[in-house]
Amino acid sequence: MTGDRLRRAVVALLVVVAVAAPAATSDYVRALSADAMWSGLLVLSMVVLTGFVGQISFCQYSFAAIGAFTVGSLVSGHHWSFWLAMPLGVAFAGLVGVLVGIPALRLSGLFLAILTVAVALFFDNYLLAPGTWNSFSGGLSPWQPGRPAFLGLGLSGEYAFYLFSLAVFLVCTLLVWDLRTGKVGRVLRAIRGSELAASTMGLNLTAWKLTAFGLSAAIAGLAGALSAVRIGSVSAPSYDFVHSISLAAVAIVMGAGSVGSAAAGGVFLVFGRYVLQQLSISSQYFNLIVGAGLVLQLVLTPQGLIPSMTQRLSTRFARRTDGLAAPVPAEGVNA
Amino acid sequence: MALLEVRSIGVRFGGVHAVDGVSFSLHQGEILGLIGPNGAGKTTVFNTISGVRRPDAGTITFDGRQIDQLRPHQRARLGIARTFQNLLLFSDMTVLENLMVPVDAFSRRGVISDALRLPSSRYEEERAVERARAVLHFLGISGAATTRAGDLSVGLQRRVELGRALCLRPTLLLLDEPAAGLDARETAELAALLPRIRERFDLSMLLVDHDMALVMRVCDHIYVLDFGRIISEGAPQTVRDDPAVIRAYLGEQVA
Repeated sequence: MTGDRLRRAVVALLVVVAVAAPAATSDYVRALSADAMWSGLLVLSMVVLTGFVGQISFCQYSFAAIGAFTVGSLVSGHHWSFWLAMPLGVAFAGLVGVLVGIPALRLSGLFLAILTVAVALFFDNYLLAPGTWNSFSGGLSPWQPGRPAFLGLGLSGEYAFYLFSLAVFLVCTLLVWDLRTGKVGRVLRAIRGSELAASTMGLNLTAWKLTAFGLSAAIAGLAGALSAVRIGSVSAPSYDFVHSISLAAVAIVMGAGSVGSAAAGGVFLVFGRYVLQQLSISSQYFNLIVGAGLVLQLVLTPQGLIPSMTQRLSTRFARRTDGLAAPVPAEGVNA
Repeated sequence: MALLEVRSIGVRFGGVHAVDGVSFSLHQGEILGLIGPNGAGKTTVFNTISGVRRPDAGTITFDGRQIDQLRPHQRARLGIARTFQNLLLFSDMTVLENLMVPVDAFSRRGVISDALRLPSSRYEEERAVERARAVLHFLGISGAATTRAGDLSVGLQRRVELGRALCLRPTLLLLDEPAAGLDARETAELAALLPRIRERFDLSMLLVDHDMALVMRVCDHIYVLDFGRIISEGAPQTVRDDPAVIRAYLGEQVA
């Protein structure tokens, strides 16, 4: 299929650029690129929840905080290996995601949004409040987890760590892509399409919605675990509610239905602010720009930026190859 | 013993008895009709069988098992499939994907086997495509396989819904006003199709409709519902000539 081949070619090209481009930049930009990768994972977590099953969440950074705090406390406070702490953080985040999903089972739209806001605020004000975890980690605050080594290669260099983050991001994206094109994606989209029809076709709505919440939160937890070792310290304000709001907005602008939005969204979340700084504009304007983008996107491309771009690209490409394969029939056919 | 036993079920909406003490039984291989004027409670009875609504009173047994408190997906797993009067397709998905969903629902593939594309997942995927294509072929709509379901005409959407229900391999197929929105020719085609479906898929049907034409042609036995109660039952001919039924449909006759 030409569409598939085109997609593969574009993805391969983007991966080559993503590997090579930061080599020509400063360590600061490489660090930002690594940030873009874990931010991309957060957008990916929104893709699973919003794009697949049609649920909204304003507490993805709270799930990320679970991953980050687990890694921070265990690696920095208890001298665990990152490779043990990280999966534990992912599992915790997934578990909390399922717990948040339980009350969310009977809610959708606005009411679900309010529930997730409440969860985020609960995290910000109680669970992540300064001092809550001091007794657990021997009073170390903030935690400063060091970078791990991967297969004997140290990840302390910014470029090495960026490549590691890129690899993690790509693997996760690939796995989610597989889910999207298989049974899980089909089932979740069916539930988004009509819960009533899906349940009478034998789908256990409860189990599938909780699966989506757990999966989404686990991906967010992984993003958080990566962020903790990227930044090298864990502090609550990095994971507060306001971040979750811009994340949701960016995911929707990019198009939550598309796995490709995760990459674009992550890059935009990090480098959008960076570009504003370079232009000596306060990065406070970032949220304003995202808001304006959200309005424009809803009016111009209701599916989101990335799906409409890929669609335009593939139809243009298809038209060109169709023209080559099957020339337009001679005129006078209708005569 | 009957395949489906409905025993004096009642459903209240607030103070209104939408369904009041309705009983009937459906035997293996039968096409049973449930008819009545608009608002008689047909769809409500129907919903209590598919599990969309639990009855406030009475019991429903299917295949010797009491099912009235089960959730919809549990009843689907026992072999009860349904269509909807107001068409509930997964409209953003292709026709083929729509038909694959009930096959997926019964498969054991999960997040891990799908994410890693394990051989079991690939095998099940092929099996689902095969089953969906076979049903599409049987219904004569193979050409629409890759079309977005929401883009089809009402007639085709009804057929896709029928196909989706058949992909569940039901032993009981519940059809909620399957002729609604169809023209005379399409209705006649449907009337010819339903007995063929019964033969091919070896199932029983419960057909709900207020339009007599289809029901009279295909049903073996008919129950007539009015104001939430059964007012008549019997073979199509008997029911059509029953004064009580004529009254219900045409109003009180002027002497």
